[in-house]
Amino acid sequence: MAYLSTVDFFEDKNFLDRWQRNLKGELDLSWMQAKTEKIAVTAENPRRGLTFRDLDKGEYGFTEMPELIRQNRSFAPRGAELPYGLPDLQPEVSQKSEVWAYNTEGYYEEAMTRQWNATLDVPWHELAKYELPDEISRAYAQLLTFLTEVEMVATDVPAEWMGKLNNSFVEVKNFMATQVMDEARHAEVFRKRALTTGYGLMKASPQNEVGLKLIRDSDSFAEMSLALHLAGEGFVLTLFRFSEYISPTEVDKKMFRLVMQDEARHVGYGVQHLKWVMRHFPEKREVIHKHLDEVENLLFGGGYAVEVTEPFIILAGKGLKKENIAQGTKITALFQLKQVEEYFERLDKCGLQERRKMSKLHNALELTRASLQEAGVLV
Amino acid sequence: MAFYLEKDFFEDVELFNLVGKVMSGDLTLHWYDAKTEHVRVAPKDPVRGLTYEDCNIGSYSYDRLPELIRNNYSMAPRGSELWGKLPDLGYTVNRKSEVWADNVAALYEEAKARRWAPAVDVPWADLAAAPLPAMLETAMAQLCTFLQECATVAMGISAHWVYSINQEFLELKSYLCAQILDQARHVEAFRKRALAGGQGLKRASVSVEQALKEILSAETYSTGSVAGNLMLGSFLLSLYRHMAAVAPSPTDLTLFRLVMQDAARMVAYGSGNLHYHLAHQPHHVAFIHDYLDAAEHCLLGLIGSQECLEPLIILSGGGTAANQVQAGCQHAARFLAQTVVEYLQRCERAGLTGRTERSRLPQYLKRLGI
Repeated sequence: MAYLSTVDFFEDKNFLDRWQRNLKGELDLSWMQAKTEKIAVTAENPRRGLTFRDLDKGEYGFTEMPELIRQNRSFAPRGAELPYGLPDLQPEVSQKSEVWAYNTEGYYEEAMTRQWNATLDVPWHELAKYELPDEISRAYAQLLTFLTEVEMVATDVPAEWMGKLNNSFVEVKNFMATQVMDEARHAEVFRKRALTTGYGLMKASPQNEVGLKLIRDSDSFAEMSLALHLAGEGFVLTLFRFSEYISPTEVDKKMFRLVMQDEARHVGYGVQHLKWVMRHFPEKREVIHKHLDEVENLLFGGGYAVEVTEPFIILAGKGLKKENIAQGTKITALFQLKQVEEYFERLDKCGLQERRKMSKLHNALELTRASLQEAGVLV
Repeated sequence: MAFYLEKDFFEDVELFNLVGKVMSGDLTLHWYDAKTEHVRVAPKDPVRGLTYEDCNIGSYSYDRLPELIRNNYSMAPRGSELWGKLPDLGYTVNRKSEVWADNVAALYEEAKARRWAPAVDVPWADLAAAPLPAMLETAMAQLCTFLQECATVAMGISAHWVYSINQEFLELKSYLCAQILDQARHVEAFRKRALAGGQGLKRASVSVEQALKEILSAETYSTGSVAGNLMLGSFLLSLYRHMAAVAPSPTDLTLFRLVMQDAARMVAYGSGNLHYHLAHQPHHVAFIHDYLDAAEHCLLGLIGSQECLEPLIILSGGGTAANQVQAGCQHAARFLAQTVVEYLQRCERAGLTGRTERSRLPQYLKRLGI
């Protein structure tokens, strides 16, 4: 047993005696005198209901939460009275700026009200109306295999970190919980769509999977968030947007619109978290750059894996003929350029403008842009 | 960093050459004839949509999952072609009968279909319009403080294990994700309920938290599931049902009805998992008995804590006047007896034969005069 309660309740006579007294109507009621703040909260906007932001008051609020959580290392909710003897859960993260993001509570509430159901909210029965060309179905099945493969990393990793965070960060933990579910739904929807193509799943992508391992093995929450929310999901968000554009059916467009709104929330959290870190924990800057060196290696290697680029080219060009491929490579090159541009724009917004000068990925971006201009694809 | 990519792709001439080739239109198409099964699934019942059960086909199915996963430690989706150097992602739970339950795919579908949002689905404004008497509200605030502690652990158990479970068990992992969200929702709902009544939070509980930490610290998945989903889950389900029956306001009635349906799923999975586990690993009956012999005292730590029991008595009796407290004590005694009986019946039905005789809980209730 990894932990045993300090009391065996079967054997604790005081516990039994008190319980017997309680059941005879002798109540102690000392908890009624708990030294906690009495506040009145109401929904500021009744249409939005009672939100976490409405609860941001006094010692219950997240605004007044201290940077370092020194007092509470237990399951006790933030603001409750902490009696002596509460267990130490050994949280690995008790510093607010390690995990906090601007608008965390907003992202959480949005996630809760925008939950959707992959079983019902995608009009699966309408797929029967479409008969796609063989090469499109195969390419699409391959793209969906890749998407199924990468989505679940974003359930495993936030779930793992939830257990490492101090319970005072309730809004962050709850946001992580929504992400865990969002990503399970994404893996579900892409798997289901792959199995409706007539081909099923195709080939795994080893080049991308090593990137997943990098994300799983992050040493700190900030590193994890950087790799997962900002970089990985940022790239995937752009991929979803282009995938909606090249989708072979209206059913697929609907599917990508649904996953996109979830993904945008996760990326939003990542950006707002990094912004918070830069403002409140500036000494992390060098560590972040060092980590980004490896994250960008992941983005570059994974982004160019042929299990992703080739089906994308075929779908974008709408076929396998020479002219289709020519058109497909142009769109794919523009898409890849956009992925990287958006990544750097997000870093700019977080206050990491200097990243462009230090980054091999940015160098690759400039070379790609130049070659596209030379080829007349970009003006 | 614990892991670095094997290559610096920016320096990888092979990759540059390959990218150049592909982007000039010369595709490898090595994936085009993947050695995987061709299927075309469709919803069996369009009203229910496309369920995981509809996708339970051939090499993609969960029915054909082997007991031991030996060939896939990566995130490659079940049924896809595994090739090249896929990494070992470090999964440590790779045996189906550790985690599986026959009802898991259905429970996942149900969890999604019955989603709710505390911000908007609980009529908070009604509570503001008709506040409870101060004594009842204080008791509710204490109970909700306690319930947040419980929900935090119920969330933590699933979250703790998801990372370690092999990706081949997709439907099970998806269900655990739904359970994580359910419990996050409960943390939120009880926090909001405590603060909405004007009393704020009350006192955290030492005995409760000691018990919860022991439950959360179970060393194997099967013991964690039986302690968390079945034992803790049974208690919470019983408590929510009781609170719905004695709810002091329409707001509380709605709240406890909503959390009850989520808790029922947790118990259904816990029971299903124990049943599957013992059916496939019957030699573990003794092990689980032994674990529960030691762990069932945690149920006492929860149910008998002052921070749970006293507000429960007050809320059940409707106040702190002597006759109300007496009525509340009778309600609470029935609730305690019912909770223990239901928990033990679930153990027996799941295949833990003889648990009722072996458990010290019934004897303890007798000592309490129940």
